[in-house]
Amino acid sequence: MKRNREYLNRWLVAKNVMKKSRGIWITNKAFLLIISGLLVFLFFNLYPIAYSVYLAFTNANFYNIMGKYSVIGLENFRKIFFHPNTKFYYSLGRTVLFVITSVPLKVAFGIALAVLLNSAIIRGRAIFRSLLILPWTLPAVLSILMWRGLFNMDFGAINKILMSIGFPAINWLNDTMNAFIAYNIVEVWLAYPFMMTVILAALQSIPPELYDSAQIDGAGRLQRLRYVTLPLIFRPLWFATILTSNASFQAFLVPYLLNGGGPARTNEFVILYGYKEAFQIGEFGYAAAFMVIISLIIMAFMFIGMKAGRMTGEE
Amino acid sequence: MKSKPKIKMSRKIIMATIATIIAAVIAGVLLFPVYWIITSSIRPYASLYTTRFELIPSQITFDAYNWVFFKSNFFLRLRNSLTVSILTTIFTLILVVPAAYAFSRFKFFGKDKLLYGYLAFTQFAGGLGITGLIALYAILAYLNLLNSLVVLAIIYAAGGVPFNTWLLKTYFDTIPKDFDEAALVDGASYIDVMWRILLPISKPGIATVAVFSFMGGWTEFIVAQTILNPENYTLSVELYRLMGQYETPWNHFAAMALLFAVPVVVMYMIAQKYLQAGLAMGGVKG
Repeated sequence: MKRNREYLNRWLVAKNVMKKSRGIWITNKAFLLIISGLLVFLFFNLYPIAYSVYLAFTNANFYNIMGKYSVIGLENFRKIFFHPNTKFYYSLGRTVLFVITSVPLKVAFGIALAVLLNSAIIRGRAIFRSLLILPWTLPAVLSILMWRGLFNMDFGAINKILMSIGFPAINWLNDTMNAFIAYNIVEVWLAYPFMMTVILAALQSIPPELYDSAQIDGAGRLQRLRYVTLPLIFRPLWFATILTSNASFQAFLVPYLLNGGGPARTNEFVILYGYKEAFQIGEFGYAAAFMVIISLIIMAFMFIGMKAGRMTGEE
Repeated sequence: MKSKPKIKMSRKIIMATIATIIAAVIAGVLLFPVYWIITSSIRPYASLYTTRFELIPSQITFDAYNWVFFKSNFFLRLRNSLTVSILTTIFTLILVVPAAYAFSRFKFFGKDKLLYGYLAFTQFAGGLGITGLIALYAILAYLNLLNSLVVLAIIYAAGGVPFNTWLLKTYFDTIPKDFDEAALVDGASYIDVMWRILLPISKPGIATVAVFSFMGGWTEFIVAQTILNPENYTLSVELYRLMGQYETPWNHFAAMALLFAVPVVVMYMIAQKYLQAGLAMGGVKG
């Protein structure tokens, strides 16, 4: 009897040990499978970001970037915030202005197109839908450079059309205000397929019975829009708006490829300004400090936007 | 009584026609830039630099394509672009497939933390791109790794690790574990399970990851321009040089731009079936 119990105990211990060792073995195996991707990701993505934070406190530039730069404390940040010629506030203001102008345009355009494509009376909705999504499938570099050609003073199609209907040609890209308008047009063109798709999917997920019962209750067209459609598409619309605001705030390729943020550096949004300070002026330390500040602003904005979206969804 | 529905029907038809025409006009305006660049590539040079607007070209020529194929450095750029894109795809699959398998099938210490770390990165990474690029340039300069197409491909693959791992992991999750458990009972190794069972079933998910990483390498512009020297520039950087730095004739630019877009559009069409299945099962659920 006692012996049997001892055997049973031994057996249980052995079983447990085996189970545990198998667990460790699986853990090792899993780490072996994950480690290559993780290491490459850490080295090429996270480490550079951490290193940029370090560079922000140094005087790194084109000439000493190979390793002879030194820590200069908060000097870069002082220059960004307090130097009389700092372009931080101008660039940030310009960027915020771009968010304020381009985001409502993108949202309005997305809603209008989604509502149009959602109306049952249009023939060939599937064809329109796949045609209108085309800007999404084209590489951004190609699309923006194509627009650069369209806005060109000499051979651009837009000026040709304007002139053929009796308007004077517009100097689109060599004028601060006109270039800013051009950025908005291109940004809307690039982003409307995303907004349209999100809103269209939200619209199509609304059960038609809701409209029927609203109609029976005597709700007019506008009331149905206000009390049925809008509340039901609000959450996806909010998240799409946050994402597209973020895209506007980080607009880089649009100004860079259209006219380099010009004329005369007047249209350099924050990311473009940071990029140019690093790679065209060669002030790596200063640019890193600038980008660290901008990254913090972006992360705070995204965090608040997502939180707010989740909160409104819970009510 | 009988005529009323008839009037209603014809009114409906008129409404439908008007709405369809409005939609067609809007689509026409929105797609005009694409139409214009396509026709520009076959318009004669002289017609482009007049002030007259010609919607349908009265003359057609293939001069611009002739220039691209025989007088430009298109093939050099094409070789660089293909090298980077193919390497990016290979590196991505090597880095992501085993990791996604482990995340989907094994329990291990720190698994959830790592997964959510990846997810958080995909949410916030966009704004950190240029921030990281500044230091990445410094690091690569220090290690003497600038101006390498292989390094560029590794950078692209590395940047895609979080998103692609998630995508493929959620795809693997949709495949019942019974499949691999049955195989394990029959004496198959984990490698066998991954290679013989999971991979063949997961073709749509893997195709999605492969196509995304190829297109990412093909179309990326700013990192390529920053870390490469002119002799190694890819097609996307060359396009910018044509338009931005050299005053290349617009029809020449149009022809090269369209050739640059062909693989993207073709891949998109071929992979559409797979992409939709892969994204529907993997991406949305994640």
